[in-house]
Amino acid sequence: MVQFVVDVLMRASDLVLIAVGMSAIYSLMKFPNIAVAQYAASGAFIALVLQKGGIPIVVAAIIAVLCVGIAAVALNELLFNRMLKISSSTAMIGSLAVSMLASAVFLLAIGPNPTRFSLPITRPFRVLGARMTENQLTSLSITTAAILCFALLLFRTDLGRCMRATATNRLLAEATGIDTRRTRNAVVLISGMLAALGGICLTLKGEINIQTGLDLLLPVFSAAILGGLGNPLGAAAGAIVIALAETLITGINFGPAFGRELLFMPAAYATAGSFVLLVVTLIWRPRGLFVSEVKRV
Amino acid sequence: MFDFLIHVTILACLYSLVALSLNLQSGFGGLMNFGQIALFGCGTYGAGIAYKYDLGFASGIVIAAGFAVCVGWAFAAIGRNLQEDYWGMATLALAEVIRIIVNNEGWFTGGAQGISAVSPLFPSLAGRMQQVAILWSCVAFLAVAYFLCRWLTDGRYGLGLKVSREEPQLALSLGYDVAALRRECMILSGLVAASAGFVFAHYISFVAPEQLVSSETFLIWAMVIIGGIGNHRGAIVGAFLLQFIFSFIPFFKDLVGLPTEFVAAARLAMIGGGLIAFMLWRQSGLVPERIGGTKLA
Repeated sequence: MVQFVVDVLMRASDLVLIAVGMSAIYSLMKFPNIAVAQYAASGAFIALVLQKGGIPIVVAAIIAVLCVGIAAVALNELLFNRMLKISSSTAMIGSLAVSMLASAVFLLAIGPNPTRFSLPITRPFRVLGARMTENQLTSLSITTAAILCFALLLFRTDLGRCMRATATNRLLAEATGIDTRRTRNAVVLISGMLAALGGICLTLKGEINIQTGLDLLLPVFSAAILGGLGNPLGAAAGAIVIALAETLITGINFGPAFGRELLFMPAAYATAGSFVLLVVTLIWRPRGLFVSEVKRV
Repeated sequence: MFDFLIHVTILACLYSLVALSLNLQSGFGGLMNFGQIALFGCGTYGAGIAYKYDLGFASGIVIAAGFAVCVGWAFAAIGRNLQEDYWGMATLALAEVIRIIVNNEGWFTGGAQGISAVSPLFPSLAGRMQQVAILWSCVAFLAVAYFLCRWLTDGRYGLGLKVSREEPQLALSLGYDVAALRRECMILSGLVAASAGFVFAHYISFVAPEQLVSSETFLIWAMVIIGGIGNHRGAIVGAFLLQFIFSFIPFFKDLVGLPTEFVAAARLAMIGGGLIAFMLWRQSGLVPERIGGTKLA
């Protein structure tokens, strides 16, 4: 049972930072930015390359997170803002194009083989009977700390108030003297940094390849939708629901229901579970579980 | 070299069919389908399953059409009350679910190994004659599909579709059943895409889930956007252009002596870069949509 909780937490921590980033960007930009999943992968790759260059991992991670944040703002200013003037689906296709370009860059710069950080290998230890490694624990604590910081920023600072005001009603926010463009850039910067940190935490626990970004896209998006896109902390809850669903699908013995002793779903269906959950949520609550806003068609 | 050109042209014709189908949805109906490859897969697996269970060519067509109608209907059904970008993500998720199921239910679909040695199209002809026969039938097929699409969109149905794209509320008030229009659009274009898949399966005589990865959908999107969204000729131009460029990338690689990764990276970069460039500087694509009798600037 404890192992089950640990598994769910680990999977959730894979998704949560990226989902929060995606949701935060959506709250201000009003389009689903597919490239956020690739921001995460870029963060991990930059940190990996820097670490190979001899820079200590903590410094490498900080540089990578900053680089990705700045790149996210630049992309927003140069591309997405212009595309959004046409339509939100144009911007969405644009973000898709950006993620394909990112894949091309990864392929040329890193190559097709999976890579990992060079960290000392430690023995897994047991917490209440559940197996964990030191890296998993580090990654989990960084993720939790980042979420807490983001929540504090959102609810306890001026910038956070500006962000929430702009997200709720941009014109009204402008009328009260908020510089919405600066706020938007701040959110994109922070979201890009969160996503990059998410990618780095993910890589701490295992390895990463050039496909990882695109593989993350749908689970992350499902988490963001479940939490109600544009509600960043809802996305954190969404990530836990997705992780729960994925772990349950592969962990439950369906045997008794079919009169057999053992019957498990193939592990490949774990991700399919989260996609089905996404579709079901969209049909049932098109605006996500944690949103009580009026529905737009 | 001549054989190679025939091969590339056949593939370009088949891609054109899939692009025509996506163009019918996105260009005329305004439906942002990111699961287009699943409709193509209905055709390939219709052919593959008919071959695997020895049901014959004709029943393959029936199975493919059946799959296409079901999937097209399902896509339309989940889109009933979704905003277009949400629907895009839902279709992407659904197409992935379909691919995962096909990949894992090996008893029915051959699993990851796929179904190989599907019977060729003109078994009585030998060598090059067979290739030429396939080429001409593909060209004829494309011509038929092109005129069918034009006939569809030039008439009352196409006008209804365009109104429901531009002003859904107006279309409703004019008495158009927008949901039904979109459903018909999905099913009809699904049949076009599935027919391309059916021919494709018999042509390369191999069917596998890896043909259904979502990056193929993005490729088709690039074809439609670069060629000119909302114009049937544009879709065909885009498909031929990209297919021919892609086929000659390997030669360029050998000529310059670049590493193998370059081919895949160049494809990704061209899809991504092409999409961005055309969306920023030439929204209407190479062959712009015609509105009334005049070209849209």
